[in-house]
Amino acid sequence: MTQSPRNTRPAASGSGGSSPQRGGSSAQFVARVALMASLALIFSYVEAIIPYNPGIPGIKLGIANVVTVIALYKYGWKEAASVSVIRIIVAGLLFNGVFGMLYSLAGAVLSLIGMIGLKKTGLFSVIGVSMAAGVLHNMGQLLVAAALIEDLRIFFYFPVLLFSGIAAGILVGIISTMVLRVVK
Amino acid sequence: MKQYIRKADIILLIVLIIAGLAASAALSMSRSAAGSDARVIIESGGELYATYPLSEDRTVIVPSPQEGVSAADVPDDSKPASEQFTHYNVVTISGGKVSVSEASCKNQVCVHHGEISQGGESIVCLPNRLVVRIDPGSSGEGGGYDSVTS
Repeated sequence: MTQSPRNTRPAASGSGGSSPQRGGSSAQFVARVALMASLALIFSYVEAIIPYNPGIPGIKLGIANVVTVIALYKYGWKEAASVSVIRIIVAGLLFNGVFGMLYSLAGAVLSLIGMIGLKKTGLFSVIGVSMAAGVLHNMGQLLVAAALIEDLRIFFYFPVLLFSGIAAGILVGIISTMVLRVVK
Repeated sequence: MKQYIRKADIILLIVLIIAGLAASAALSMSRSAAGSDARVIIESGGELYATYPLSEDRTVIVPSPQEGVSAADVPDDSKPASEQFTHYNVVTISGGKVSVSEASCKNQVCVHHGEISQGGESIVCLPNRLVVRIDPGSSGEGGGYDSVTS
């Protein structure tokens, strides 16, 4: 209760300060990212508790990435990167484990770079960008796995991860397109 | 209103699918049928742990490198692995097929991987840094899947 005046101050100074980008003030940024990160975390949780095992590691829909894609298109790359990294660290601590966190972080960094790059070209739709991100996400995980296990034979998983990345990316892209159509 | 799917998306999709098909074709060629002297190679923590003939049935307990097991206390394969170690995998060779029958890890990916029998195939357990693979041996060399029909 007593903290509420303190919380409003950065908003006031931030809006007139040095960061008047389209995201608005820094308090708006923090609130927005926190909200989206918690939404993404719920998606991660729902996905983690669904008893679904295709028999091959690394294959999942990654429904939480819908939030990342929407953050990227509605706000910007800073929001998307923050949401993605926060979600992975918290999900890693809560249910995916430290190793899962490591894989996801590598995948997230690669896919974020890919998404930002492809979006900048202006040639691709949300679905195309998301598809590339799905593939890059899996490739990042594969690279970390290869480095950890010190055995390049793990690249036997390459085609499987590539195709599953395409499928998951397209699905995430379609969902994101539908959501963006409404929230824009 | 922007199009939902653009030309560049389709091109990217086709390129990715071709890359995937090319990779899987290259990988399937690198596999070959296991010969009669095929060996099962077990690597733990990036180092060779043991090799066994694929033709002999056996069950092997492989402690994870994080157990810090010295050469002195070799696992007793006749006792349950869970009584001896907290981090381990149990590799079973049976009827020319290899599987990881038990694992201490949470995700159980290596157990769900099932059986392998072809030269070049492998099962990987990331948490315990275990790789189980089949070396096709000399008589299986160059045979590929076609050696079954020839």
